[in-house]
Amino acid sequence: MAIDITDQNFINGLIEKERRAQRPRGRWLVVPIVVLTIAYLTPFYYLFVTIFKTSEEYAKSGVLQLPTSLAPIVDNVVQAWTIAHLGQAGLNSLSYAVVGAALSVAFAAAAAFGMTRLNLIGANGWFMLIFTGTLFPFQMYLVPLLFGYQRLGLINSWLGMLLVYVAICIPFPLLVLRNSFSGITREVDEAARIEGASEWRVFISMIVPNATGPLIALFLLQFTFIWNDLLFSSILANGIEVRSIMVALQSLQGTYSTIGPNVVITATLISSIPTVLLFIVLRKYFMAGLQLGNK
Amino acid sequence: MIKTASATLSPEILKDARRRERRVAWRQTRIAWLFIAPAVFMVSAFLLAPVVFNVILSFTKWQKFTGLDKFAGFANYARLFAVPYFSEALSNTAVWVVGAMVLPLAFGLGLALLLRNIPLQETFKSLFFLPKVMAPTAVGAIWYYVYAPHGVINSAVAGITGQPFDVGWLYDAQTVTPSVIATFVWQTVGITMVLLLLGLAAIPRDPIEAARVDGASGWQIFRHIIWPLLLPTVLVVTILNVAAGFTTFDLLWVMAGSYPGKRTLSLAVYMYYESFSNGAWAYGSAVAVVLGAMVIAVTAALAVLQSRVEKNIR
Repeated sequence: MAIDITDQNFINGLIEKERRAQRPRGRWLVVPIVVLTIAYLTPFYYLFVTIFKTSEEYAKSGVLQLPTSLAPIVDNVVQAWTIAHLGQAGLNSLSYAVVGAALSVAFAAAAAFGMTRLNLIGANGWFMLIFTGTLFPFQMYLVPLLFGYQRLGLINSWLGMLLVYVAICIPFPLLVLRNSFSGITREVDEAARIEGASEWRVFISMIVPNATGPLIALFLLQFTFIWNDLLFSSILANGIEVRSIMVALQSLQGTYSTIGPNVVITATLISSIPTVLLFIVLRKYFMAGLQLGNK
Repeated sequence: MIKTASATLSPEILKDARRRERRVAWRQTRIAWLFIAPAVFMVSAFLLAPVVFNVILSFTKWQKFTGLDKFAGFANYARLFAVPYFSEALSNTAVWVVGAMVLPLAFGLGLALLLRNIPLQETFKSLFFLPKVMAPTAVGAIWYYVYAPHGVINSAVAGITGQPFDVGWLYDAQTVTPSVIATFVWQTVGITMVLLLLGLAAIPRDPIEAARVDGASGWQIFRHIIWPLLLPTVLVVTILNVAAGFTTFDLLWVMAGSYPGKRTLSLAVYMYYESFSNGAWAYGSAVAVVLGAMVIAVTAALAVLQSRVEKNIR
C-alpha cells in the first residue's frame, strides 16, 4: 500500500512517534528513585524527629512520629554536652584533625618533592618503604603501639595521639602527591634553580602552589579520617582530657540504660556537624579527592 | 657534526663529566634526604616498627598483666584452631568480606545506572554520599536505635502490616551479622555509586549509540560494552570494599556492643576483644597477623587482576 502523505492520521502518527523518541528515555525511573531515596533517608528522618523529643516523649510515642514541640532540643544538647564532655572531646578531636591532617599532608608533600623533583638515589625504594604503611590492617599496629606508648609515657597524651594520626595519614597523600608533582613540568623548578633559589624555595613557591587542589582534597580526607576515628583513640587515649569525640560518643552510647536515645542521637548529630559541614561547603574538593586514589 | 664532537672528547673529559654528574646527584640526594626524613621517620617508627614487633610478639607468651615474654613458638597460632571462637570469627569475617564485596557494588551499580541521566544528579549524589562523611561510630549509634526492639524497623513493619513485629536484630545470632552488614552497605553504597558514575562517565558514547542503532537490547549493551569498560573501576571499588570487609571494627563494636557473643563477630573484633578486654596481647597479636596475611593476600590478588584488566583495555 502506498503511503498517502496527505493523510492527516498518518502524519499525526508520525508526529506522535517522533515526540515519543524525543522524550527523555526512562521517565518511569522517577518512581524507584524516589522510593529508594525515601527509604535511604529514613534514618536521617528518625534523627531529626528524635532530637526534638524528651526522653518520656520518646518512650511513649512512636519512633517515627513527629515531635510535639521543638523546645526539647535545647535540653538534649545540654545533656549530651555535659554528660559526655563533648566540648572537651570536640576540641581534642578538632586539634588532632587540624594539626594531624596539616602535618601529615605537609610531610607527604615534602617527601613527594624529594622523590620526584630532586635526583634522589633510590627514590623508588624509599617510596615503597612508606607505601608499605598502607598495606597492613590497623589491627596490626594496636598492641605494639599500646606497649610502646606505655614504655615511653605517651599513653593518654595529646602528643602521642597526634603522632599516630600523622604517621597513618602520610602514605596515601604521598602516593597522590608523587603522581601530581611528577605531572608538573621540569622547567618550572629548573628556571627557579638557575635564578639561584634554594630547593626549599623551589618546593614552597614553585611546586606547592601548583598542587593546591590535591593538597586541599587530601587535607579534607585526612581531617575526616582523624575526626571519625574510634579505634586508635579508644586504646591509646581514652582519658577525659585527651579522648576524641568518637570515644566520648561511644561512652555515651554504651551507657544506654540511664540516658535516653534522644540524648545519644543528639550527641551523634553534634559529633557529625564538622565533617558534614565541611562536606557541604567543600563538596567539590571531596569529590575530587575520590578520584585521587584511582590515578 | 655530532660525530666529530664526540670523537674529540677524550676519555678523561668524559670521565670527568660523569664524575661531576654523580657529584651533583649526590648533592641533590643529600638534600632530598632532608625532605623525605620526616615522612620516613614517622612511618617507620609508628607503623612499620609496630608491625615487626607485632609479628615477634605473636611468637611469645605475653600476658599484659603477668608480662611473661618467653618465646612460645607457634603456641599462639595453635591456640587459634583449638578454641571455637576463632573459627566462628573467621566464618563471620568471610560473610563480611563477601557481603562487603557484593552488596555495595550491586546496589551502587544499580543506583549509578538509575541516576546516570537524570536531572538533579548532583543532589542525589550528595544525599547518598552523606553517610560516608559521618563517622562509623555515629552511624552505628543511629542504627543501633533503628534496629532496637521498639526501633524504627520493627515499628515501621508493625505500622505497615498492622501486626506486632518484634525481631531482636542485634541480639540474635542469626540476624546480627547481616544487620550490621546492612548498615555498612547503607554507609558505603554512596561512595561506591559515585566512583562507578565517574567510571561510567569515562565510557565513550559512540559505541553505545552504534549498538543501539543496530538494535542491541539494554542488557546486551550493558553486558558487552559498559561492563567490560567499567571493570577497572569495579575492581578498584572491590579492593576498597573487601579491605573494609576484613577490618570493619567501629560499626560492630558500637552496634553490637551488648550482643553476648560479640567477640566472634569478626576477626577484627576478636583481636580487639582478646587483646584489650582479656589482656592476652600475644594471642591478640597472632590474630592480627592472620588477619593481616589474609588482607594482604586478597588485596594483592585483586590488584594484580586490576592491573591486568586495565592493560587489556588499553
